[in-house]
Amino acid sequence: MTVHTPTRRWDPLVKITHWGVAAVVVVNALIVGEGSIAHIYAGYTLAALLALRILWGFIGTYSARFSSFKPSPSRALGHIADIRAGRHEVHKSHNPLGALMAYALWACLAVIIASGIGMAGAPPAVDASISASEFISGEYGEGSEGSEREESQAEELFEEVHEIAVNLLYVLIALHIAGVAFETARSGKRTITAMLPGGK
Amino acid sequence: MTNGAITTTQRGDRRIPVVVAIVVVQAIAAVFFIADAAVDITAGEWGLHILAEVLIALALLAGVALGAWQTRRMFETAHRNEQALQIARGAVAEIMASRFIEWRLTDAETEVALFALKGCETPEIADLRQVAEGTVRAQLTAIYAKAGVSSRHALSSLFLEDLIEVSTDKGIFGKGAPPEGGDAN
Ligand code: HEM
Repeated sequence: MTVHTPTRRWDPLVKITHWGVAAVVVVNALIVGEGSIAHIYAGYTLAALLALRILWGFIGTYSARFSSFKPSPSRALGHIADIRAGRHEVHKSHNPLGALMAYALWACLAVIIASGIGMAGAPPAVDASISASEFISGEYGEGSEGSEREESQAEELFEEVHEIAVNLLYVLIALHIAGVAFETARSGKRTITAMLPGGK
Repeated sequence: MTNGAITTTQRGDRRIPVVVAIVVVQAIAAVFFIADAAVDITAGEWGLHILAEVLIALALLAGVALGAWQTRRMFETAHRNEQALQIARGAVAEIMASRFIEWRLTDAETEVALFALKGCETPEIADLRQVAEGTVRAQLTAIYAKAGVSSRHALSSLFLEDLIEVSTDKGIFGKGAPPEGGDAN
């Protein structure tokens, strides 16, 4: 006999790809060396998670589909007006600001992945001769050929783009977490629990 | 909130994360494999080796897509079951509320009747409501009298009877299929 309001809910695929991406980004930033093999693997893993989430945006469950949260600056402005006026609309997926943030995060990740693959090429093979610490922090593909190897122009461009996009991603993540915190304070903790394992 | 019916939908829900986890691992495997195959292919040397790689890549992608599709179906079925259960719960609650009003049960009697219908024993009800067992027994007697029945069993039957009548009236066992499960046909 509980009262049931229509609720948006995230399916397990949204949750697993979300926390998978978050985990890879955090672990990569904290413990993985910049030019290491593990870093390249992290990039390919992100590519897989992002590709799966995008596929899910077309064929997934109702709340997960892109058609449920179309990017719309005018609705985002409308949402800001709602916040100002203290109105609480029920959204079937991300709220219009959250939707813009989701697309921004994905676009940023896509640029990072593409430029990273542009620099690194295919995932390097790993065999037993590579120790864990080499895997995580050793420089891959440099050193033996002379570290002052000429970088091609394309490579320099990829490097530049990669760096800018990564910094932008960190800014977006900070904004994203601030946004989630704000929405949680405004609309209740269901904002967060909906994204947690087992939460509805 | 603690009855058996919910666990049926939860059981359906619980399989989904496992399927999703497999899909995620498959997607990661597919990406690594395709990146590797792409290097081989750009290196030229067309042959059986490359043909095999392309086939495996396609199979992996098909596995991911099928897994995703299956996930969506399972999620939607679980969701629909839950909704059907909500609707059924709502209907039962409505019928009970209207009967209780009709019988002019007091607030205390209404609560006792609800617990009794949920299957609680008299000592349990006394415990839950923090009153003496004698009080509960007296209240139950009053409830049976107002409802015109002589036992708890007969009281439950009243509601079951109502529900089954409602169901056949609306043709749920006939043309209008039940929301999910379809065990009637
Ligand atoms: C660290 C890297 C993170 C990244 C890259 C990230 C990225 C994203 C993306 C892309 C979405 C859209 C999800 C989708 O539709 O699939 C999203 C949603 C969400 N994220 Fe994150 N996230 C991160 C960290 C976090 C953290 C730490 C929290 C918890 C405080 C969090 C809580 C949420 C919530 C609650 C949503 C749903 C938003 C809504 O209600 O519209 N995220 N995130």
